[in-house]
Amino acid sequence: MSSAVQTAPTATTPTPTPVPTAARERRRRKGGIIAAVAAYLITFLVLLPIVWIVLLSFQSSSKILSNPLDLSSLSLTNYVHALTSLPLAQMYGNTILLAVVSVTIGTAISFMVSFALTRMIFRRRRVQSALRFYLLAGLAVPVYILLFPVYRLDLAIGVFGSYAALIIPYVGVSIPFNTLLLTGFLRDLPSEIEEAAIIDGAGLSRLIWSVVLPVMRPVIATVLIFNVVYVFNEFPFASILINNPDMVTVSLAVSQFQGQYSIDYGGMMAAATLVLIPQLVIYAIFQKQVIAGMTVGAVKG
Amino acid sequence: MHSTHHPKRLAAVVAVATAVALSIAGCSAGSSSGPTKISLSMQNPNVKTADPATWAIVQAFEKKYPNISVTVTGQPVAQHLQAISVAAQSHTLPDIFWVYKSTAEQMNKAGDLMDLAPVLKSLGLTDKIASSTLDNFSTGKVTYGVPYQGLLTGIWYNKKILSDNGLTVPKTFDDFVNVAKTLHSKGITTLSDGANQSSFSVWSFLVDLDRYGWESKEASILAGTSSYDNPDFINFYDSIAKLRKAGAFPSNVTTQTYQQAVNEFTSGKAAMLDAGIWASSAIQDSSVAPDAGFWNGPTFSDGVGKQDIVMNVASAPFAVSADVQKNDKKSAAVKKFIAFYYSDAAQQLLVDNGQPPVTNYTPKLDATKQSVLKGALEASTAAGLTSPKTQPDLVVSTAVASAMYDSIYGVIEGQLTSKQAVDLVQKAIEAGK
Amino acid sequence: MVWLSSRWRIALMVAPAIIVFTGLIVYPVIYSAGYSLTDFAGFGDPVFVGLKNYIDLWNDPFFWSSLRNTLIILVVSIVVLVPSSFGLALLLRRRFPGGGALRALVFAPAIIAPILIGLIWVFILDPKIGMLNHFLGWLGLPQPEWIGGNVLTPYSVALVFIWSSVGFAMTIFYAGLQQLPGDVIEASSLDGASGWKQLLYVTVPLMKESFAIASVLLITNVFKIFELVYVLTNGGPVHRSETLVSYMYFITFTNQQYGSGMALAVIITVLGAVVSLAYLLVLRGRKSE
Repeated sequence: MSSAVQTAPTATTPTPTPVPTAARERRRRKGGIIAAVAAYLITFLVLLPIVWIVLLSFQSSSKILSNPLDLSSLSLTNYVHALTSLPLAQMYGNTILLAVVSVTIGTAISFMVSFALTRMIFRRRRVQSALRFYLLAGLAVPVYILLFPVYRLDLAIGVFGSYAALIIPYVGVSIPFNTLLLTGFLRDLPSEIEEAAIIDGAGLSRLIWSVVLPVMRPVIATVLIFNVVYVFNEFPFASILINNPDMVTVSLAVSQFQGQYSIDYGGMMAAATLVLIPQLVIYAIFQKQVIAGMTVGAVKG
Repeated sequence: MHSTHHPKRLAAVVAVATAVALSIAGCSAGSSSGPTKISLSMQNPNVKTADPATWAIVQAFEKKYPNISVTVTGQPVAQHLQAISVAAQSHTLPDIFWVYKSTAEQMNKAGDLMDLAPVLKSLGLTDKIASSTLDNFSTGKVTYGVPYQGLLTGIWYNKKILSDNGLTVPKTFDDFVNVAKTLHSKGITTLSDGANQSSFSVWSFLVDLDRYGWESKEASILAGTSSYDNPDFINFYDSIAKLRKAGAFPSNVTTQTYQQAVNEFTSGKAAMLDAGIWASSAIQDSSVAPDAGFWNGPTFSDGVGKQDIVMNVASAPFAVSADVQKNDKKSAAVKKFIAFYYSDAAQQLLVDNGQPPVTNYTPKLDATKQSVLKGALEASTAAGLTSPKTQPDLVVSTAVASAMYDSIYGVIEGQLTSKQAVDLVQKAIEAGK
Repeated sequence: MVWLSSRWRIALMVAPAIIVFTGLIVYPVIYSAGYSLTDFAGFGDPVFVGLKNYIDLWNDPFFWSSLRNTLIILVVSIVVLVPSSFGLALLLRRRFPGGGALRALVFAPAIIAPILIGLIWVFILDPKIGMLNHFLGWLGLPQPEWIGGNVLTPYSVALVFIWSSVGFAMTIFYAGLQQLPGDVIEASSLDGASGWKQLLYVTVPLMKESFAIASVLLITNVFKIFELVYVLTNGGPVHRSETLVSYMYFITFTNQQYGSGMALAVIITVLGAVVSLAYLLVLRGRKSE
């Protein structure tokens, strides 16, 4: 990791200088090559354990435990088993539904409160920062403290056994995280543009939709990614609040291979790979389109 | 794009999303006509593959009673118990469920469970199931649980590894230590165990605890009139320490799971495995099957309890939610399920899937395809062997049971002295007062 | 802004989040804090026992060792993660072939469920069957007990946590960098500021909120580490490698001592909040110097 820190400084000059001298250009190019090599190397190291899962997913459970590196015995058996024993389409359908609804609500209401807490003018300033800390304190709450009360709450409001039973806590849990990110980035964002827009006579809605949101795109994208990943991997709530086999989510898939006295390691690895790869593809598309592409024009304004 | 914004667009997004969430909430209620539905909640997420015996019985039951459908759900043990605990608070328990005995006892006290004594009596099952088993799941006249599967525990051994190293199956504890010393010098694990994710996998040592007099001390220790910290139990932990010093255990006993321990045995890398009858299928399917045997464990010259014992008791029970009684159709269906579970046909299904019967049914066994199970069942019924009435960890609270497991693994891992081990358990017993 | 900040507008913007948050997070915490004053065991009626559960924890050596392990993981993770993930974000901000794909791939560990992360690393760190020791043995080097021994487990957990979080933290820094006004950087580079100076005096100060965000998330996430430990060692040997949450899970769900478990959960919540707040105040104090 230290190589990352050392080569980092050169990375902050992406914009070409107007009149580059030959020497400066050479130095820049050399720095660029070093940075690329370092980036590839670090990525490789980070990925190594994941390559390991994928490799193990082609190995039988007993081979995984006795001789995992034996490449002669790789087979698709685990995948056949995982695909036949897991209702993957249903699991993905349920998870995507939960993710879309809870992330939309969670991000929208978090953005609203974050905008108010950083941009709007409260009569009492103290109230503003107190509210922010109130929401941020939620980050420190471990999920296990919530399980039982949320279960009771779901029963009390009559949503237990439905998707809403999970959507509601997912929205709740996402608020502190989203608020931290959104208020933080809103604070770093210079407010001159907004002031200009207000002087032009923009209302609150128009200010948010046409001025603030476009500039916030990278951050909103980040928030969305983290929230979706959270819903995909969330296990404690899902294991307590789902009592209907037709509603299982992908986060429960891997645990399907773990019995009281038995663990199907091969099946777990195959399930893990099947759950991981689509998410990785989604992330790759997302970050390229949203973070990289759309922000270029917006940011520099 | 800019000019067409409606002022309340942001609020509208939230409203739409909320409406979607609520409408989704609406479509969950199921209809109640058609076949009677009963739910069965188990300690395995994939009952079909992890607990084929139960799965087979449910399939056969549904075939016999087409008007009853059984919804089988399951989760890993910890999540399952968690779910049962929260469901009990809210009267949303599944109809029939697997649960630890100590948990069932608490639930019974809280009025969450149905008394099964009248059901068993009317079905004539009280003669088929061992009375010690039913007593174990009863308080006073109330029976809160019925046996799920058998808990026949002990040590599996590999004849070939022993004979290749000039050894025979040990009888006494001293023999056992000598076996460990010899095998350790050749780099072979004697007794495979795994503490990770399965701190409870110390079955053979729980039998040894009985050989050091647990059964006769149990009542007074739990009542607080005598202590778990007594010379006999110190000797018990000393015996584990001797095995450790002789190099009996795998070097990664702390990080390996029970499943890995089984694999160490079935791949021929360990001479013995600390487990029970449920491992018979895995052993049968492995290459060590022809050499596998079942040993009820060593005898101790300083043990004050009975030495010729084998742990052959009922494992955790099935319990039935008290709410079942409120629904006539449901309670009739549950009654039919219980009757079927203890029928000879279902008991044979248990045996076909590598489990001993839990009634007095004499099973039919295939001498070659079920050689491992057959060998173990025969070894467990050898002349002169008796069984304790239950396994020590099943009569105490879960916290005390955990302390027992921790104390045994603590000595196996070289983390605790015998004195520290007994203190750990004694403290847990006192804390529960 | 002033005339857009009427009272009802503020209320409309703030109310949904505050209501949901209070109902789904704050109310449950208070509810559970109530249970932490009882002997509740998961079934039956709870009996009020006052502060007994808290006093028992104070006297419980396993509580202190799990706190110690959590603090070790905290210090190691923060010291390593914050600079390395920021560096990585700077590195990946450069344009080179495949850069976008690398960003996605570095983030990959953050996508994997924590329980699986534990599972993969068991096969790497296990002293006997793990890849790492096979490799070290092949090189003729000593083979330490990375997990399961008495010393190294918390450091190994920190290593795994760093691995799983570096892409996550990098993404936060990356998003922050993308928001930087381009002309600021341009101007400073035209002034001839050398790379290091520019980083320290221009980029870092502009990114102070990103640093605060990443640090607070990492701190609170460390206080919530559970699955890694649960799978790697299950807290063993004899609870010596527990973290606060893994030990709370043991008390609450394995031992079914719900009251005591909730007492520990309350302590974890308070500790996580206090440490993050202290960190933020220190950060703010230093920045304003």
